[in-house]
Amino acid sequence: MPRETLEVDVLIVGGGPAGMSAALRLAQLQKEKGGEPLAIAVLEKSREAGAHMLSGAVLDPSALRELVPDFKAKGAPLASEVHDDHVYFLTRTAKLRFPLTPPPLRNHGNYLISLNRFVKWLGGLVEAEGIDVFTGFSASEVLYDGDRVVGIRTGDRGIGRHGERKPAFEPGVDIRAKVTILTDGVRGNLTKALVRRLALDEGREPQLYAIGIKELWEVPADRVAAGTVIHTMGYPLRMEEFGGGFIYAMPDGVLSVGFVSGLDYRDPMFDPHVTFQHFKRHPLVAALLDGGQMVRYGAKALPEGGWHTIPRVYADGALIAGDAAGFLNSMRLKGIHLAMRTGMLAAESAFDAVRAGDVSSSRLKGYADAIDRSAVRRELYPVRNVHQSFTYGLPAGIAYAGLSLVTGGWWYRDPMPAHAGYERMCKIEEYYRDGRPDPDSPVRPAKIDRKLTFDRLTNVHYSGTRHAEDQPSHLIVHDTDICRTRCRTEYGNPCTRFCPANVYEMVDAGDGTRKLQINPSNCVHCKTCDIMDPYQIIDWVPPEGGGGPQYEGM
Amino acid sequence: MVLVVAEQRGGKLNRATWEAIAAAQQAGGPVKVALLGSGLDAPAAELAAADVAEVIVVDSAALEEYTADGYVAALAGLVERESPALVFLAHTYQTRDFAPALAARLGRPLVTDVTAIKKQDAAITYTRPVFQGKLTAEIGASGPAPHFVTFQIGAFRADAAGRGAAPAPVRKADVTIDAGAIRQKPEAPFKEAKQSVDLSQAERIVAVGRGIKAQEHLKIAEQLAQALGAELAASRPICDAGWLPMDRQVGSSGQTVAPKLYLALGISGAIQHLVGMKGARTIVAINKDAEAPIFEIADFGIVGDLFEIVPAMIAELNK
Repeated sequence: MPRETLEVDVLIVGGGPAGMSAALRLAQLQKEKGGEPLAIAVLEKSREAGAHMLSGAVLDPSALRELVPDFKAKGAPLASEVHDDHVYFLTRTAKLRFPLTPPPLRNHGNYLISLNRFVKWLGGLVEAEGIDVFTGFSASEVLYDGDRVVGIRTGDRGIGRHGERKPAFEPGVDIRAKVTILTDGVRGNLTKALVRRLALDEGREPQLYAIGIKELWEVPADRVAAGTVIHTMGYPLRMEEFGGGFIYAMPDGVLSVGFVSGLDYRDPMFDPHVTFQHFKRHPLVAALLDGGQMVRYGAKALPEGGWHTIPRVYADGALIAGDAAGFLNSMRLKGIHLAMRTGMLAAESAFDAVRAGDVSSSRLKGYADAIDRSAVRRELYPVRNVHQSFTYGLPAGIAYAGLSLVTGGWWYRDPMPAHAGYERMCKIEEYYRDGRPDPDSPVRPAKIDRKLTFDRLTNVHYSGTRHAEDQPSHLIVHDTDICRTRCRTEYGNPCTRFCPANVYEMVDAGDGTRKLQINPSNCVHCKTCDIMDPYQIIDWVPPEGGGGPQYEGM
Repeated sequence: MVLVVAEQRGGKLNRATWEAIAAAQQAGGPVKVALLGSGLDAPAAELAAADVAEVIVVDSAALEEYTADGYVAALAGLVERESPALVFLAHTYQTRDFAPALAARLGRPLVTDVTAIKKQDAAITYTRPVFQGKLTAEIGASGPAPHFVTFQIGAFRADAAGRGAAPAPVRKADVTIDAGAIRQKPEAPFKEAKQSVDLSQAERIVAVGRGIKAQEHLKIAEQLAQALGAELAASRPICDAGWLPMDRQVGSSGQTVAPKLYLALGISGAIQHLVGMKGARTIVAINKDAEAPIFEIADFGIVGDLFEIVPAMIAELNK
């Protein structure tokens, strides 16, 4: 069957806030500058725009204001303005309110949003400009001419579980572009491949990630005033673990409740999903959720490493923007505005390069220079070592975060050294010197009552996740023998714990041992396994286009 | 008058047709059934057993094989001639294919995937799921008749369709179909799986879950299914392991079933499974774990070892 080819000027891979902002900015430039219109396309793996988007989310509207000045008139879905900030330090049973909200966590002037609604709205603006948004198409590989990026290939459709072609087989399409803007999100599969191939991370620090797990709850409307923002530190995490909880009160009694756990924990038995259950059982949270109903669930990794971990964001024929590159301010817990702004800057450089007929990396370097001159650097550079400081424990992190507000982020070793999370994870025998825990049950179990707390499988149902069943696993474990043997002993199969969607299970092999079972159709595309697996033998590749969660209001 | 559009393939009636008839009888007023195809004596006689005013057969060589254009043309003509107040259809794949075009052709409202109807005076409100089944909406249809309504499979019971004291008259309607106007050319139907089963048509189902432990133990479930005249089904892990083909999977990623009897063996009852079978009339669950969520929806529950209980059931059934 012949492979179809599509030629465009600028291809944007990933229809998140960065990708949609890039597309919209390109349309604006077209109008401003006139001339022969550029052919632009946006590729998005979810069935509809925004369906794979998940965030808290508090939006800093600075980039939005620039991109869509009349965003209110255009009906931007901003759920509520933030009225009230609370920051608590939690112990097992008590809460301690910070007397002053730390400046980075002050959210006055910001908005509570559902990111998936927001991106759906942005997508509508993009389409109204006549730009094609191809939803339901995943990008499986980058196309090169030598080391120059010349586009991408979309995934084949209609491949059976064992790799055989089904009657409805359709080969992927080659989309060739003068400039490809990669906005494939945190740990994007194309960005990962491109960074590796061209060593774009040379001389950079390893990215540090976190995983955010979130539920939407419906509670009586008068329980918390819309626009209330609550952040917590401490319990159920221990001093050595990074992370915290959030509760955002949307209108009509909808609460966005979530927990972010650093993916740089040392305890191999740590379980982010169980931690989230403990968080909900804390009196502060349980009281807010009492009598309410969980209506949605989802999870997503976040790139938290900051300025020093961002790879080179340009190459011949390619630019990288948003979470894919790691533009996120972990001190302010915000990345949407940075994704939007880097998307806009990438669009400007791409437009300039296409018009000039020069898409070489020396021309596209203008994007990196523009970032250096922009609010992105002004915001990220002073907090460049903050997340790294938390790897020395919570007190050290808070102390350094406070210090950096005064010193502009100075540290005697700059960049402050850090290790990738999967390297920090200890082996069981190093961490549990007094006795080996059972790898198949949580060390600190949380009671599951299916009212306030849920098991993974029930939760996954509320993510709306669906994949074509008869297709190869999109989670490629390169050596499952390691799972049965080495990993079982050394780390106790941490994939069964860090995956928030019950994709990984160790099941009875029938001979007294356990073997790995992968349930790919549960996958919510959070990418945690690709990030955190200690042997780095798990590759997340996109499933057949259209598969994945169906987030609504997340 | 309510006109029910029956569905047949190769002269074999789709069981869901009886569900649509049951819905029509509940709506009140005279009910007529339209049957389309070619060579329809047997299914027409079968339908005539129902408590309906008459069975209208549109027999045409152009309808021998289903095409959307053929059905829309035939039904548009028939509906205009019979002028029913309502047209009821089962929400099958075939209905989904042609009903929107039919309603649009006649410029009439179409209410799909209805799970219940409520009559208030002359007005009917329809209940249908929205937001992926998270909410149900009650909606009414307005504008001139007829209104087209499709019913979710399993929402009404096929066996609730009333039977008439005497066979209903069968009338051949004289509808001419211009074969040249049919743009689709049907090919031989292909099935993705080698032996496709349609569990939604099964009256009894024996379903197995992880509690069955090993593939060789499937035999006892098969024996039980055979003794009961039931189809064999499974929860996801069994099909994932390849012990049963994927077309026997019940649940959110498999089939949705509504048999009279659903016997769950060693199924814990994850919500993904429950959404696929909670419409069963009688649910019997056997599980070792008394806390398993399957017991929350089971009508009869046995906490115990299925390897002791099932052989005893088979022995009893075979007596």
